[in-house]
Amino acid sequence: MTLSTPTVSPARVFDPLAHKDDLTAFRAEVRAWLEAVVPADWQTRMTGADEADYVAFQRWWFAEMQKVGLATPHWPRDWGGADIGIRHQTIIFEEVARAGAPGPELFVISLYHLPATLFGHGSQAQRDRYLTGVKERGEVWCQGFSEPNAGSDLASLRTRAERRGDVYVVNGQKVWSSYGAFADYCLLLARTDFEAPKKQAGITYFILDMKAPGVTVRPIRQATGQSEFCEIFLDNVEIPVADRIGEENAGWMIAQSTLSAERGLIVFELSERMARAFDADLAEAKRTDAAWLKDDQLRREFTAAYSDMVTLRLMIRAMMQEVEADPHMGSATLPTYIKIHFSNILRRYTDFRVRIGGLAAQAQQPAVMGGGHQTGNAMHDFILSYAWSISGGTVEILKTVIAERVLGLPR
Amino acid sequence: MTDTETGMDLIALRDGVRGVLAEQASHERVKAFADAEQILDKALWDQAAGLGWTALSAPECFGGLGLGALELGVVQQELGRAVAPLPWLGTMLAVEILSHAGEGPQVAAWTEGLATGTRIGAVSMVTPEALSTDLILSSGAGGLVLNGFAGDLMDGSAADLLILLARREDGKLAWVVVEPSIDGVTPEKIGTVDRTRHLAQVRFTDVWLPSERLLAVDAERVGQALLATASLAIAADCDGGANAILELTLDYLKTRQQFGKPIGSFQALKHRCAEHKIALVASGGLLAEATDRLARGDDEALRLALAAKALCASVYFRIAEDAVQLHGGIGYTWEHPCHLYLKRARLNQQLFGGETAHLDRVAQLLLAAA
Repeated sequence: MTLSTPTVSPARVFDPLAHKDDLTAFRAEVRAWLEAVVPADWQTRMTGADEADYVAFQRWWFAEMQKVGLATPHWPRDWGGADIGIRHQTIIFEEVARAGAPGPELFVISLYHLPATLFGHGSQAQRDRYLTGVKERGEVWCQGFSEPNAGSDLASLRTRAERRGDVYVVNGQKVWSSYGAFADYCLLLARTDFEAPKKQAGITYFILDMKAPGVTVRPIRQATGQSEFCEIFLDNVEIPVADRIGEENAGWMIAQSTLSAERGLIVFELSERMARAFDADLAEAKRTDAAWLKDDQLRREFTAAYSDMVTLRLMIRAMMQEVEADPHMGSATLPTYIKIHFSNILRRYTDFRVRIGGLAAQAQQPAVMGGGHQTGNAMHDFILSYAWSISGGTVEILKTVIAERVLGLPR
Repeated sequence: MTDTETGMDLIALRDGVRGVLAEQASHERVKAFADAEQILDKALWDQAAGLGWTALSAPECFGGLGLGALELGVVQQELGRAVAPLPWLGTMLAVEILSHAGEGPQVAAWTEGLATGTRIGAVSMVTPEALSTDLILSSGAGGLVLNGFAGDLMDGSAADLLILLARREDGKLAWVVVEPSIDGVTPEKIGTVDRTRHLAQVRFTDVWLPSERLLAVDAERVGQALLATASLAIAADCDGGANAILELTLDYLKTRQQFGKPIGSFQALKHRCAEHKIALVASGGLLAEATDRLARGDDEALRLALAAKALCASVYFRIAEDAVQLHGGIGYTWEHPCHLYLKRARLNQQLFGGETAHLDRVAQLLLAAA
């Protein structure tokens, strides 16, 4: 049996969204669907899985979610979504976490960053073509923002796009593009004006077809041993003008919409999974009468971290209420607090797991592909925690942002 | 923001209390109180009583306002913000104990006295560990006889109504009401480094009490209710104080110039302030949630209240500690209010049990539910 073959044929047709008006029935249907469809042994089968199996499994899972409308329920109805609000989204994430279901990791940019960008700034044609592509054909997107010399200082990016008639000719190098090796398309930032008075003012936003001539992708092996990230080399790549998002040189502002997606629903789902992991660890420790429970220092550390996890969930719920009141979240500060808080808790908790794991946690073990942040492989989870404190704006950059924009400290 | 149970406009309450304290408990006045090592700022107390703050949680039938945990939290937050020297919490906790004791005439009289501010209350300091006491309550001469020692009564020397945990001859715990002015009672003020408050220890030698001084309550249950309320009140005091001292510090960093620029432009200082801000938002959220659960009588209220106390006290201490450092020399002076916050934060960490005691009880409750 290969992993790419769906292994479960649901006993009946599930339709959670048909129960939208009754939250209890909606939850019951989501739960029943997850019980029927999530393979009980998927984590075992994904332990040490190779890339082909992982990608096939991800595509299968996305298709299953899509069948019941739960891949894009947060999208507006006009764009193929169900326009659901925070109460439904909360239920979905709680149930997904409860069921230990896989996350659609390969589709994160497709499901969150792409719509956040196109809803606000895309053309009708772009929305029709690309949102439909995600929804109906499971197209995978990646993000081409960072460059070797433009990380935290993203605005100093130097990939060059020159207009020649109906196309832009693009040259440069991008880095840290998650799942770039499997992506069909890329959200690309490139410089169109090298003379702009402010470096932010010379950047344009493009849709890049990853199969276009001149695009080369090279995976980067990261500290976990896996190769989620890629480098993208662009050598005289032609992008049609129709694939420019927004006006020329307006890319920096549009990119803010893309990045805001990262701090919304994604972290909501991750925090629900984290809450589950805390409770599961506690129950397991109680069941096995674990040594750390009897160690005053370790037990208190866990308890204090548990409180912090609760504060994170409360902050996220407050944020979701803000989102519901104002979907554009113009000057919202909570998402930035949340990203830092989540990064800190994730590091602290995975570090705790490594320490209570003792020498056994140092033994080399294959990781669960697509297992998220709490796979039970303590060292892997710990190393993976850096993905949150570094990517999408390092914790240090975000602290400076808070100090200057929220607390009003001088530059 | 409105309390949906009581209809109270919490923002208006907050602004009202803040406005009064800005005048009546300015840093100047708090410092003068601290310098004089006073027990009670009578003028401030009378003002608080006159404005109905002492009547906040007493039932309406006893002359109170019948408000709950949300309002109590708002007032205590403001008292913390002002580092106000007001023995208000002890009085509120005394009212809480009496609220479990039925509606007899004696309970009514005590509650009314506390609600109108003619009496100031102090109660035994319960902690998350098993309830304990050094007071022995025996029967004798048609009433009760109290012997032993009650330590750690917060603002106890200002109080004229003590509600204390005692052990009966059969080993059971009981709550007993005592006026410290009667024969055989020897109170002693223990000055604390935080001079906005103090502790008292009281020795009892063959003190005879009429039998109605023994409250008809489930002593253990009242102890746990008291612990939840006191924990949240201290957490609220911490939240108010931490916000105030962080604001003061940010103002200083924006104005103090060194090397030709405001010191707040230095990244090492900025990052510390950002961390403090996030910690405050996080702990403030837990405090709000715990307060809300307590107001609704939720099963998890005690666990969340204990967790909030541990977290808010720790966050307050970290911010107050760093405030002195970030203010540099001026923050180390007696003149500047920084040390008032730092000392109050340190005392708060210990009141009604220290951080480890709170965390251990939280762990116990989590494990019981796991």
